[in-house]
Amino acid sequence: MQSFGSRPRRWLVLLAALPLLVAACDGADDESAAADSSEGGEFSMFLCEPERLLSQASSEVCGFQVLDTIFTGLVEYDAETGEIVDGAGMAESIESDDQRVWTITLKEGWTFHNGEPVTASSFVDAWNWMADPSNEMGNAFFLAMAGFEGYPEVAGGEAEEMSGVEAVDDETIRVTLAEPFGPFELLIGYTGFQPLPEEFYDDPVAFEDAPIGNGPYMMDGEWERGSEIRLVRYDDYEGEAGNADAVNLRIYSEVSTAFLDLQAGEIDLLDGVPPEHRAAAGDEFGDRYLDNPTTGYNYLGFPLYQEEWQDVNLRRSFSMAIDRETIIEQILGGTQTPATSIMPPSMAAHRDDACEYCGYDPDRAAELYAETDGVEEPLQLYFNSGAGLDEWMEAIGLQLSQNLGIEAIEFQSLDWPEYLPLLDGHEAEGPFRLGWGTLYPSPQYAMDPLYTTGAESNSGAYSSEEFDALIAEANTMPVDEADEVYQQAEDVLLEDMPIAPLWYSVDGVAWNDTIGNVVADSRGFVRIPEVIVD
Amino acid sequence: MGRFLIRRLLQMVPVLLGATFIVFAANFALPGDPVRALGGERTLPPEQHAAIVERYNLEDPLPVQYGKYVAGVVTGDLGESLAVRRGRDVSEVMADAFPITARLALVAFLVEVTIGVSAGIVAGIRRGSFLDTLVKVSTIAVVSIPIFLTALAAQLLFGLRLGWLPIAGTGQGWISYLLPGFVLGSLSLAYVARIMRTSLVETMGADYIRTATAKGLSRSRVIGRHALRNSLIPVVTFLAFDIGALMSGAIVTEGIFNLGGIGGVVFQGIRQQDGPVVVGIVTVLVIIFILANLLVDVLYAVLDPRIRYG
Repeated sequence: MQSFGSRPRRWLVLLAALPLLVAACDGADDESAAADSSEGGEFSMFLCEPERLLSQASSEVCGFQVLDTIFTGLVEYDAETGEIVDGAGMAESIESDDQRVWTITLKEGWTFHNGEPVTASSFVDAWNWMADPSNEMGNAFFLAMAGFEGYPEVAGGEAEEMSGVEAVDDETIRVTLAEPFGPFELLIGYTGFQPLPEEFYDDPVAFEDAPIGNGPYMMDGEWERGSEIRLVRYDDYEGEAGNADAVNLRIYSEVSTAFLDLQAGEIDLLDGVPPEHRAAAGDEFGDRYLDNPTTGYNYLGFPLYQEEWQDVNLRRSFSMAIDRETIIEQILGGTQTPATSIMPPSMAAHRDDACEYCGYDPDRAAELYAETDGVEEPLQLYFNSGAGLDEWMEAIGLQLSQNLGIEAIEFQSLDWPEYLPLLDGHEAEGPFRLGWGTLYPSPQYAMDPLYTTGAESNSGAYSSEEFDALIAEANTMPVDEADEVYQQAEDVLLEDMPIAPLWYSVDGVAWNDTIGNVVADSRGFVRIPEVIVD
Repeated sequence: MGRFLIRRLLQMVPVLLGATFIVFAANFALPGDPVRALGGERTLPPEQHAAIVERYNLEDPLPVQYGKYVAGVVTGDLGESLAVRRGRDVSEVMADAFPITARLALVAFLVEVTIGVSAGIVAGIRRGSFLDTLVKVSTIAVVSIPIFLTALAAQLLFGLRLGWLPIAGTGQGWISYLLPGFVLGSLSLAYVARIMRTSLVETMGADYIRTATAKGLSRSRVIGRHALRNSLIPVVTFLAFDIGALMSGAIVTEGIFNLGGIGGVVFQGIRQQDGPVVVGIVTVLVIIFILANLLVDVLYAVLDPRIRYG
């Protein structure tokens, strides 16, 4: 094989290397200048196409990967536990006596990549801009959820700025909430609360081509959609500097293609090894492969607005009739972790043994099911199409029919634009598949928006006074004291089973021996500043 | 010829209006709410949902929406992407993606013309020979294998094992397009070779070829001057239609080779009900089809002097 290919190959490689050689000559001066500051070097990695490169609008992991590298928020989370890292982030201190009025003091001397100082207004103006519905910033959701005072007025068009957000001076932000909200401290580390420079407001659309942030890396050139984003280290960064000089984020539409490129050495790092390659990647990359448990989980929701689903035994029997481990092993390439609770393991408050009805127990499931009136057949199972869910949803259907004796099952697979309004309108006539990722690592966000009575994303119309009361209580407590109460709230859910938790998402991260020190963030991306080029 | 061209170009206007309206109406008729889907599992604040619906005229009845769209297009505004490239001008979305697709189609087209036509000629003039059989068997093989398999095999062999060509992406300029171009062109190449072969075999049996040979002309002159020209007409017809097909049908190839062309954008656009993007790109594709058609008609006249347009 080798001799067969040797001649043409050399020729092509020479051709291909020509631009690289030229580039290397150009870059020679810069490299020597940067060599003394830290590790240096550059690497390339996989990136899925971001939907937006605007913190206030971004809500998916491809965008977070870039935005959390070129911006630094008020607080930063520990990559594994999600707890606030002391001294990291832009906040010098965050104080509140009552969890309602918060005073944030900023560190001094920080600048955006264009040299503009980062001040309290950089945050306050960005949040106000996000609140204005005509700007169509999806993360305004969090202003509503946390109860920022004055948000409803801005959303309703009665005010320009939120009365509860104030830049007291250049270094001080004061935020007043409608109700005490302890997780605020964690929330403001979320991508949506990152600051914006003055230049943004001149032309918000153009800004997105090459966002100017305040983070350890800055954009080098524009976001070439569908192709590439190049980042270089920001040398005036006041926080902990990144190791590599530069990183090329190569955008792929098919992750399996990226995996081939990783094997060929075209890229150095891939976060999101596809399930079918996981086993092979573990063998091939050895200690250059890691499983990264993320904050996401999949669940099967139950339509409690239908009479038969009010019966808790029906819900419990469904949950126990699903053999999660077999599905993960046979269909998902062994890549996910069976869910044993509502809060994912990346959260400090997670417990492994909290759920009585999450394990596979076909006999008990059948017993419980016999006590109920059963479901109306054919049973309808709903899921969103085009996301590769068909196989395991069918497996769940098979297990339900084997273990509970349900004879007729119909699968309803719909595209998002049709699927979500159906769930919002409580029109699904059977269990439905959904997922949830805790965008900021608070137990509140894992439960409150999904299970509180009347919450927007409470697709199953679950309602429990006990749960509502516990969540409300925990939300008023400081972060470091609240976990126990959140766990009590979780216990209520695990008794009532408004959903059957299925599995927690685990990302596969693999890299070549050209780089090291790969640290994966539990939100599902890689901490670029940590990577060291060998 | 001049009048013919003007008439044909003018005919484009109603065709375009009709085509865009059909695509527009089809998108309109899809059930569901694309704005709701923007929020995903989290909902958008209701005020914001309302603002987006208003800005994209999604509440209007179909004729009003379409009228506003056409009014925008006439003034050069193709609208903004609703979902796929949220908030970005459709003209920019197309400027990102079309050059890539065009380059891919061009490479595929060159592959199909050069290899396809020559293989067809060789097979046609040496009917029954080993080469003829080889062309027949290999074209059947190419046509029977699904393109994603060809693509994957090509990536594994030439990209990963041999390392001759880049596996994916556009990072190395035209070289990046060789492998995907070859894969995309392979199917049409097989058709071209077969059409060329059949057509040439047929022509070679015609009376005027026998006359030319009897006149004492050399074999190369008989084939080159007389047989080829007439045999090319069906091939040219196929090639011209294929330009449009290569531009619009490269979704799989673009995906596997990670070329951010229009294929993936249209596919996402349809799934996310991104009307402006889908209608914009389809319109351009329709224009390409019409122009290719026109090109065929002109080429007919060049190839066959009996055909005249008044």
